[in-house]
Amino acid sequence: MAINYEPKIIGFICNWCSYADADMAGTSPVSYPPNIRIIRVPCSGWVDPLLIAKCFWQGADGVLISGCHPGDCRYNEGNYHARRRFALLHRLLDYLGIAKERLRLEWVSASEGQKFTQIVSDFTRELAELGPRSEG
Amino acid sequence: MDLELIQQIRGLCRDLLKNGEVNCVIGYERASDGLTARPLFVYEPGEVERLIFDDTCTHNLVKYLSDKKGEKIAIVAKPCDSRAINLLLNEGQIKRDTVFIIGVYCPGVVETGWNRKGEALQERCQTCQLLKPVVYDFLAGQAPVRSTEGERYSDILEVESKPEDERRAFWLDHFEPCIRCYACRQICPGCYCPECFVERLDPMWVGIRIAPIENELWQAIRAFHLAGRCISCNECERACPMDIPLSLLNRKLEKEVKELFDFQAGLSPEEQPPFATFNKEEKLGFEE
Amino acid sequence: MNFLMSRDNLIRWLELLLQERTLIAPIRVQGLLLFQPVSKVEDIAFDFDNTTLPPKEWYLPLTETLFSVKSRDGHTELVPATVEREAVIFGVRPCDAKGIAMMDSPFLQEPGDTVYGERRARTAVIGLSCKHVQPECFCTSMGSAPDDPSNVDILLTEVEDGYIVQAVTDKGKALLPQGLKESKAALPAPPEPQAVPTEGIVQVVRELFDEPYWERLADRCLHCNICAYVCPTCYCFDVRDYSDKGKIERVRSWESCQSPGFTRIAGGYEPRPTKGARLRQRFYHKLLYFSEQFQDIACVGCGRCVKACPVNIDIREVINDLQQLGAKSGS
Repeated sequence: MAINYEPKIIGFICNWCSYADADMAGTSPVSYPPNIRIIRVPCSGWVDPLLIAKCFWQGADGVLISGCHPGDCRYNEGNYHARRRFALLHRLLDYLGIAKERLRLEWVSASEGQKFTQIVSDFTRELAELGPRSEG
Repeated sequence: MDLELIQQIRGLCRDLLKNGEVNCVIGYERASDGLTARPLFVYEPGEVERLIFDDTCTHNLVKYLSDKKGEKIAIVAKPCDSRAINLLLNEGQIKRDTVFIIGVYCPGVVETGWNRKGEALQERCQTCQLLKPVVYDFLAGQAPVRSTEGERYSDILEVESKPEDERRAFWLDHFEPCIRCYACRQICPGCYCPECFVERLDPMWVGIRIAPIENELWQAIRAFHLAGRCISCNECERACPMDIPLSLLNRKLEKEVKELFDFQAGLSPEEQPPFATFNKEEKLGFEE
Repeated sequence: MNFLMSRDNLIRWLELLLQERTLIAPIRVQGLLLFQPVSKVEDIAFDFDNTTLPPKEWYLPLTETLFSVKSRDGHTELVPATVEREAVIFGVRPCDAKGIAMMDSPFLQEPGDTVYGERRARTAVIGLSCKHVQPECFCTSMGSAPDDPSNVDILLTEVEDGYIVQAVTDKGKALLPQGLKESKAALPAPPEPQAVPTEGIVQVVRELFDEPYWERLADRCLHCNICAYVCPTCYCFDVRDYSDKGKIERVRSWESCQSPGFTRIAGGYEPRPTKGARLRQRFYHKLLYFSEQFQDIACVGCGRCVKACPVNIDIREVINDLQQLGAKSGS
């Protein structure tokens, strides 16, 4: 797409695994694009689909949820619930005409080095190619 | 109208009220247009003659069980309605021993409006897979002869096949007439929250502005809250004064829940709804 | 003096009006009939019974910004809502026109709602007599009629070769095009809607506040907002301030007394805690309270609530029931 725009990404990052990784990125020489606004949450299972929908309807171009790997959840099962919810939310948003690629659920552990950085960079680039969200 | 069926129901209700087994019977009576039906609450045995049952009895009376908690109620339930009873039992909203379920064999109901009765069965009836209620204390009527086959999701597939911006425009166009009367929510047995998320003003999720974006947020999240719980009675679509195709939204999620979790709401009172449980091994498209 | 206008002349006249004013008329929107500003006269539905929502939508929009407050460089500015152009609303049935006139009582009494007042002053009303009545109509029992010219600026009555035009007010006279032929034809007899026994209903209702009738009627009520929203004389609303990036907007939207929590007050107390209390409020407002305040029953007999209620709460039936209850207990 020829449009020169900066995608707005909202990131719901779980405190235990993913946030640690994001924090580490802050102290390392590798940087990630500033397009993402990070919201630290206790668990990916805490994230309500209502929050995600509100992000999109208030103008976000993409939403990222990052949690611990299934099996490693600090609260044992939060990410299993998150997985089920977002599987369905993906399909609902897609049905309403909001591309599946705009909502991402990723599993990142604290020891995974630059995975978070990579995810954000990739996501930002993909959204830039996809273009901004049309009105609505 | 099947007179034998209606005599069965009236006789039973007369006895239940006389014996004090129930305080109130929730059934149907003739509406003020003399053609269609409306809900009826009978408290006196002498009033049971007002009860009717025919193909205009479209209302899902299970909605009213949430208003009458703690009382002993008898309720006339079609097969789809009985699934809503299972839903309320499953979610701990009513106790099984406070409700006497008068199940009816249902040949299907027709499209109705005020002073308007259609010829054809409603769409949901044309593809209904239940001939008799899934839970009942008494079963009235006779098994109808009706097909339980039929492609349930052809209209959903049609919307899914549209290109993305056409889909976007389709839904925005359909949500624009919404006047946020909340009839869809009020008529739904599954919507019984004392405070709906849309009434919340701090934080203000949706707010009071009546505009396409806010309307869509309202509809999308209500549909999501009903995912795995909606039994597709379609009363929301019938109640909507602005003809919004709500069943296109609710049945889409019904289809996805079936595909993702092999689950259908309300078939048994002791089921595990998909969002109250989880499965460790499933992948659902989020590969490691 | 009445005039005769052919269908073609009507269209030409509306096109002329459209050039200088906002023209609001019934148009078909996805199978519904709604009053909306039109961009082309061809979009107007000329043959219709009545619209899904009443024309009150123009005077009291579903959602509107009453004013906004902007802050920039330490300078605060209050921007009120204004009505930019003169307007004409076409195709208003006499019952709906009465509804609009009735809304003037609460909205224009001191201190007066300026936004509503401006819109009312700058909108001319072209009424359309009813050729047919619907099974749900009962305007004659509520002080109106299918050919009532009382609350419009111009009334059109369809006849074989066009429309008989009655210029009711000076505003209407000024709006008419030049060169209209005079018509000495008698106006056709209006159709007759069903009668509803409204005689003395205000006095009857006054005595029935504590009747168990209301809880029984409310058993099947869903407490949605449909009846209030489709009603030409219901006007309750909610107001909320939205703030975003240094700008504050005061937004007003439709609301109704049927919503649970509509009258909940600080501290959580509910003056109308039961379904019966809430449903009774709607009927009392229409039949008693509005009459006591403004000398008119707040119902015009359009029948929209009868048609739209998903559980068939029928105001005509209720009035009948109340008259019978009143006869039993009282005189």
